[in-house]
Amino acid sequence: MSTTMTARSFAAPGAAARRRKGWSSLWLVLGGLYFFLPLLATFLFSLHGKKGALSFIAYAHVFRDPEFLHTFSFSLEMAVVTIAAGLALMIPTAIWVNLRLPRARALIEVFALLPFVIPPIVLVFGLIRMYSRPPVMLVTSPVLLIAGYVVLSFPYIFRSVDAGLRAIDLRVLTEAAQSLGARWSTTLFRVVLPNIRVSVLSAAFLTFSIVVGELTLAVMLAWPAFGPYMALVGRDLAYEPAALAVISFLLTWGSLAVIQLASRGGRGQGPTAGGVH
Amino acid sequence: MAFLELIDVVKHFGRHTAVQGFTLSAQEGELISFLGGSGCGKTTTLRMIAGFEVPTAGRILISGRDVVPVAPNRRGVGMVFQNYALFPNMTVARNIGFGLRVAGRPGSEISRRVDEMLELIHMSEFRERYPHQMSGGQQQRVALARALAIRPSVLLLDEPLSALDAKIRVRLRAEIRAIQRSLGITTIYVTHDQEEALSISDRIVVMKDGRIEQVGTPFEIYNRPATGFVASFIGSSNALRAVAVHPEQGTASVDGQEISAARPLPALAGQEVRLQIRPEAISLHNGVAHNNHLRGTLVNVVFLGSIVRLVVSTGGSELMLDMFNNPHLALPEVGSTVTVGFAPEACVPLETNGE
Repeated sequence: MSTTMTARSFAAPGAAARRRKGWSSLWLVLGGLYFFLPLLATFLFSLHGKKGALSFIAYAHVFRDPEFLHTFSFSLEMAVVTIAAGLALMIPTAIWVNLRLPRARALIEVFALLPFVIPPIVLVFGLIRMYSRPPVMLVTSPVLLIAGYVVLSFPYIFRSVDAGLRAIDLRVLTEAAQSLGARWSTTLFRVVLPNIRVSVLSAAFLTFSIVVGELTLAVMLAWPAFGPYMALVGRDLAYEPAALAVISFLLTWGSLAVIQLASRGGRGQGPTAGGVH
Repeated sequence: MAFLELIDVVKHFGRHTAVQGFTLSAQEGELISFLGGSGCGKTTTLRMIAGFEVPTAGRILISGRDVVPVAPNRRGVGMVFQNYALFPNMTVARNIGFGLRVAGRPGSEISRRVDEMLELIHMSEFRERYPHQMSGGQQQRVALARALAIRPSVLLLDEPLSALDAKIRVRLRAEIRAIQRSLGITTIYVTHDQEEALSISDRIVVMKDGRIEQVGTPFEIYNRPATGFVASFIGSSNALRAVAVHPEQGTASVDGQEISAARPLPALAGQEVRLQIRPEAISLHNGVAHNNHLRGTLVNVVFLGSIVRLVVSTGGSELMLDMFNNPHLALPEVGSTVTVGFAPEACVPLETNGE
């Protein structure tokens, strides 16, 4: 009797763990199906461009369309400038907030919420109204589009950079660099940035995704961007939009893979563990 | 002339006064510890020397030059931080050579200096390691080498050992002291650990509430504390409440029993005075001649390994006394009446403005 009870009491935790593992696997599979099935369906649909056969003809159409390259390169250009402008604005701001103005964090958090609560259509009408008349006429300049993109990507850039800065001991590292004779610029480029590289990359790729897929600002400001092109293709064609969706997914995943590789490659934001004494 | 001077330095943070009237002169090659509890202003003072805080008033001179208006990166002051502050993206060699690279020194000189520093801290084989691949003690040695590599005029250490375990702390503090002595570098060492301060310093500055309580050699601080705070903060001590009898002769009464100190008492006859006596300076009266004797009841015996601590009540006061442990030690029973004795020199009158 006691042997049975002992055996059962030893067996019980194992059985419970197996049950928990079973449920976890089930939810994981269901989640995976929910995510991958539509993608698989889209991919399969994109292969039906040629009647009666599976082919990549829809992809060929997409890549052959001069508008694809034109709009994609335009958006790419805008994304690069937006990333540069956003990082140039946010990195010093986040450093300043972390080092000198911790009380300003609450205000910045409010600003970071604004792009979520103000719809892009409202933002773009505000921008057009503000900058379509003197003294500042920007409505025909890509500067206004980039400024709008910077506003949209602000929460993502700020939060990524801020998280990176919080993960390192920014104050002590900057003070250590200064005590060794480094100026602010040296401290920023040789100490701070290499140690928040992953966060900066993450901010850059999030911004890239936002800019490449953005529709409202580009349409309302009448720029030949990739977002409006995708919308146009989706309206007029059948298989090419599916091919474009798959290409967009691949681009995003490629970006994530680059982040992963970068985070493994260097020492910045790496794990900290003690060795032997 | 002093190498490092702080003259009437004051620091306010809003309405809070962190440091007030701090005046100190350090000679070249001297190691001075700032010792005190949390919030006593020791780290703030250190940070003002480094340039990370600007004094509200006062002057800080290094080699006769007022450095208050000078930016931290131009002061030539090396600093070692509590949590090492090594740059995680750089190897040990690059960390140590950072200051020299920033100063634009030639590659050959940097490499030579890095080698020298690695040898100094006995870590030549760690040259290409990253900070996360080393223990805390190793990281702190690299941090020390990095601070020394730029040949600073003053070395500042902000609780450099407090994040390490006890054994490493003891070993590393001896290494730091040996390196400091061999280089002859003027050093300010902030710590809240009295044993660390006593063992490593040429002089100690004991601080409380932003003020200096006492400056002196470890021997002076331990044996002749100026205030009640210093007496209670440094080591274990008895602070006897007594009534002055002949203050100019140093005699006072403890629960009706007269004792004498080697110094005049800072009180008038009939006034209360506090006398500090270290537990190790008191012994059980066993034929040893002492000028001072107090009778009391043994109320407790505490075994502490190498020493045995006895607690004797004289009626209104309790006295701790320490005896070296040995297997033949014969101790009186708890509750028995005992006589304890101590020399007048062991009896230090405390300033009344102290604790």
